[in-house]
Amino acid sequence: MKTRIPAVLSLTSLALCLVSPVLFFAGKISERTYRLAFLLTSFSWFLFAILWMAAARRNKV
Amino acid sequence: MPSRLATLTLQMDKLYEFDRVPVSADKLQPGGKFAGLFAGEHVAATEFVIGAFFVLHGVGARDLLLGLLFGNLLAVLSWTFICAPIAVRTRLTLYWYLRKIAGPGVTFIYNIANAFLYCILAGAMISVSATAIGLAFGIKVPALDAIFPNSVGWVVLTFAIGTAFTTVAVLGFEKLSRFAEVCSPWIFVVFIAGAVAMLPRLGVHPNLDNLWEVAKTKIWNGVAVAGQEKLGFAHVLFFAWFCNLAMHVGLSDMALFRYAKRWTYGLFTAFGVYPGHLLAWICSGVMVAAIGREMDPGRMAFEAAGLAGTFGLLLAGWTTANPTLYRAGLALQTVTPNWPRWKITLVAGAATTVLSCFPVFFLKLLDYVAIYGLVLMPIGAIVFAEHWIFPRLRIEQHMAEKRGWTFNGSALIVWLGTLVICFSLPLHLYFRWLPGWFIALASYTVLMASRRKEGVR
Repeated sequence: MKTRIPAVLSLTSLALCLVSPVLFFAGKISERTYRLAFLLTSFSWFLFAILWMAAARRNKV
Repeated sequence: MPSRLATLTLQMDKLYEFDRVPVSADKLQPGGKFAGLFAGEHVAATEFVIGAFFVLHGVGARDLLLGLLFGNLLAVLSWTFICAPIAVRTRLTLYWYLRKIAGPGVTFIYNIANAFLYCILAGAMISVSATAIGLAFGIKVPALDAIFPNSVGWVVLTFAIGTAFTTVAVLGFEKLSRFAEVCSPWIFVVFIAGAVAMLPRLGVHPNLDNLWEVAKTKIWNGVAVAGQEKLGFAHVLFFAWFCNLAMHVGLSDMALFRYAKRWTYGLFTAFGVYPGHLLAWICSGVMVAAIGREMDPGRMAFEAAGLAGTFGLLLAGWTTANPTLYRAGLALQTVTPNWPRWKITLVAGAATTVLSCFPVFFLKLLDYVAIYGLVLMPIGAIVFAEHWIFPRLRIEQHMAEKRGWTFNGSALIVWLGTLVICFSLPLHLYFRWLPGWFIALASYTVLMASRRKEGVR
């Protein structure tokens, strides 16, 4: 359970990283919004992926 | 001198002691592990440059797609039919297998050559990362034909980044390799996101109805930029095939495949090369076309994905330069008996940092990658001949080990001779390795067969 939550959140963040350029390409958001969204979702990926890895390592031990 | 060589040999063996024994059955890994490993291995900072260079070299859209599709297929088949079967049968690293075949002296030279080539590669990665930071400070990327640094700013920048990368490598490789695992899927996403976001700038409609037209006319339009050689289908095919030549035909990935349950696990390399050497190269091609065909990876990444793009480029350089530095350090450690790992990594890092100041290594990256593979390729051919051809021709295998040779002269002559022949062949640099491989294979077999008849050492 402790690994599942950060795993889901990190993978969702990575998926959202891809959604923002698609929305920009489709003309739904501005370039500025795309860049900001991409930066935030990237940050979110790193945060949750590191938590996920740490939890996975704790589980192994 | 002989005692010095004996010391070096002893030191070198000690370094690789942990993998001296063939991998045991209980240590073998499932196929899924290999798929995961390769998926994260082939997206590096250099992909920003390679894909972009295909655009600058005037490759056509159709040539690019077919070349990458079939070139990568040939690379996957080389891993599957050349590297993996030998690794699975011997369960040894190339180091130990080569030592049996060519003797510790040749293995030592191979290590040094490898270390030097690794340093140049890591230097190129530092240079690519430098373009990301340089953008913030207004430091211009050197011109495409530059060999030497174009400004004090560039030298200071590459020195600063090289020092930072080296410091991290010296402080601890393990933590960084764990961090690299987090970075690699995201870096791949940066490529995809950057390319998608650049499509409107190139005039691609949201319904994609003109995508192929734009690809043919505005991205891979078949026109090389001034001063760049025109490349076509065969060049792209060969490039995709040989860009990991040292790993597949050169057999250095025996280190990985010795853990494979079956030789068919070589096919799992497709999970690495198709995203890294097809999709990522296509994406960087889109990005460079959108910024006006200018070789400036830093600007490319920033304009495509903003600050995240800049970080992506920096992280791609960092996470790939560090293991390269580590490997260079490991190889160099053989000449510096009793030096601790941190000290030799520092020396490798310092050499790499100096090399990174010279923009020629990243601006001529395609040629460098070709030379890198070419230099190490004959060793792969020698091992292949010894493993598959010698038993069929009843030529004695592993003579260096059995007779206690420090140098297998035939192996050394074939290695150097093949390189001399390859560099004088009237062929494009990209195509020379293939005849070279057959030359090395045939000449080593003939030389060793003649030694058998003569019974000489």
